[in-house]
Amino acid sequence: MRSLLLAVLTAYLNAAIHFILAFVNKRRSVQRVAEWSTAIGFILHTGALVGDWVLDGHYPLFSLRETLSFLAWALVAVYALVLHRYRAQAVGAFSMPLISILTFISLLITPGPADAPASFSATRLFPIHTTLVIFAYAAFFIVFMASVMYLLQERELKLKTFSAIFHRLPPLTTVNELATNAAIVGLSLLTLGIATGMFWSWDRYGRFWHNDPKEIFALLTWLVYFVLIIYRLTANWRGSRAAWLGVIGFALVLCTLFGARFLGGYHVFGLIL
Amino acid sequence: MSIILVGVNHKTAPVEIRERLAFSDEACAEGLRRLVDGEVVREGLIVSTCNRVEILSATTTEQMESSAGRSAQFLDAAGQLPTGFLNKHLYSHTNEDAIRHLFRVASSLDSMVVGEPQVLGQVRHAYAIGVEAGTVGRTLNRLVHHTFRVAKRVRNETGIASNAVSISYMAVELGKKIFESLKGSTVLLVGGGEMAELAARHLVNAGAARTLIANRTEETARRLANEFGATTVAFDQLDQALSEADVVICSTGAPDYVLTESQARKGLERRRNRPTCFIDISVPRNIDPAVGKIPNVFLFDIDDLESVITSNIREREREAERAELIVQSEVMQFQQSLRLMDVGPTIGALREKMHEVARAEMARQRKRLGALTQEQETAIEALLTTTVNKISHPILNQMRRFYESNETDDLQQAKKNFDLEE
Repeated sequence: MRSLLLAVLTAYLNAAIHFILAFVNKRRSVQRVAEWSTAIGFILHTGALVGDWVLDGHYPLFSLRETLSFLAWALVAVYALVLHRYRAQAVGAFSMPLISILTFISLLITPGPADAPASFSATRLFPIHTTLVIFAYAAFFIVFMASVMYLLQERELKLKTFSAIFHRLPPLTTVNELATNAAIVGLSLLTLGIATGMFWSWDRYGRFWHNDPKEIFALLTWLVYFVLIIYRLTANWRGSRAAWLGVIGFALVLCTLFGARFLGGYHVFGLIL
Repeated sequence: MSIILVGVNHKTAPVEIRERLAFSDEACAEGLRRLVDGEVVREGLIVSTCNRVEILSATTTEQMESSAGRSAQFLDAAGQLPTGFLNKHLYSHTNEDAIRHLFRVASSLDSMVVGEPQVLGQVRHAYAIGVEAGTVGRTLNRLVHHTFRVAKRVRNETGIASNAVSISYMAVELGKKIFESLKGSTVLLVGGGEMAELAARHLVNAGAARTLIANRTEETARRLANEFGATTVAFDQLDQALSEADVVICSTGAPDYVLTESQARKGLERRRNRPTCFIDISVPRNIDPAVGKIPNVFLFDIDDLESVITSNIREREREAERAELIVQSEVMQFQQSLRLMDVGPTIGALREKMHEVARAEMARQRKRLGALTQEQETAIEALLTTTVNKISHPILNQMRRFYESNETDDLQQAKKNFDLEE
């Protein structure tokens, strides 16, 4: 599967380069190359994940290597949805480099022999829990990106000095709407993800809650996005304040995803989820 | 065929001269019929806009000089000026330079405001008149179609037309930057004045659904309301209007602030914090600058607009440099296709001639062969055709190469060898 993943990385890198070129030059032909390259990468990536699943005999979302690869895949899927719904081409220039990096790191990690979580995959709930959470994080990444785009543009509009990047970003209300919708989707997925995690834990250990750092961070993340959505929907908070919440929320997501690993606790099975 | 372009534009001739030369549509068609005689000038068309009058013509290489002279004289006569009067204002380009000039004009690189969209339509119009008058032949036809392609490419692949360069259009650009689209939006026009009205008109053209007019003079308010199909708003009801408006354009002669911070805040609260764009083009300013500090409100005064426009013009100039590269590569491409187009008839004539010889010989010898079956007939015909094709193939290729590398002497020699002088 490594060679296939290498092909995936090549496609993503090619897409990232073309997205950035298209972002700078506003060339539609270049944008198309990037989109096709992304599509090819995504198909190969799906193949690689399915291959892993068949060969290793467990859902390909457990070790760090698998998680990064799966996260990259989920981000591409979410990006495709965003592109389809909002035609926000600039998103590609921002997300594809990150997706390439995630794929690259996952390639660097050699699969350890300890990846035999037979007891985890015994229950169907565990892969559902992890998948939901990963997609929630991918959605929160979109919120983060849209929020950054919002803040960049708002700053330039307020200062009345428009840089080259300004003309290439989607309009304010578009990124605002994108952030709101992505936050709603992300929060729904995270809610379901936490719920399935709890049930799985109940099933296995007879406890819903373990008080470990990852759980606490996840709960905080959930709260931040909940507040964000409530405020957006009641329309008291629009624009920059909501955008800052989107940025803070994503910092918490990163803490949940990576930080908890270094704080120890129940969720550390030598892996990050 | 050679291509010649003779003309004046805003850089070479003052308006007093350009206005004398300007052609109406009828004069243009009529003039073309006089100019194009099929001998000195084989094909022609006239591009006449307020910034330029140019005659584009095609003729044989030998007639190039006299054709250019004729075009110049034609312009003198059209302006009722003494012959040679225009010489110091005229530019005259041939072949590569003429093609490049036309590409640049249509791509709006030669315009007073680089990137303005009208000029392409004007070239299109000139072409239509030429076609109508019957003075556009194969060469110009190709050239003009290629020109349209180049202009489209420049527009799509560079940003020379993407950023607003006029105050009135800035309202639309800012609106589009804040709201995804202006469709269905509401515009509030406070006061009047030419620039503000023009800005409002641009917004309506971009899709704004409602226009509200607030004006102290009732008569002006009514006039504007009629013009825009707008609703008038009394000045003491501005607060209500503010809560509905997405874009507010303010331009009154008032000596102090017409819109205060607290008004804007209240309006924003009532529109549940949906962003508002305020554009203040009055001097002295009519909107309290503190309004710009409110979150979700974007305020631009006349200086802000000017400075954005300056940077937009710089951006357009940067993009124009990229456009020049596109034009250059397209000029090369067109010249190439022009050479091939020229060689086409020659090659066709030569091949035809060889086949003709073979057919004639066959006809002469046919009766000696006696009765033949259908199959034999076909075989003989195929034999002749393939023999001629195989012999002529390298010769034709050679001629094509001469053309592509522009070795006209060799080509003339080849034509002579086969007795193909036109």
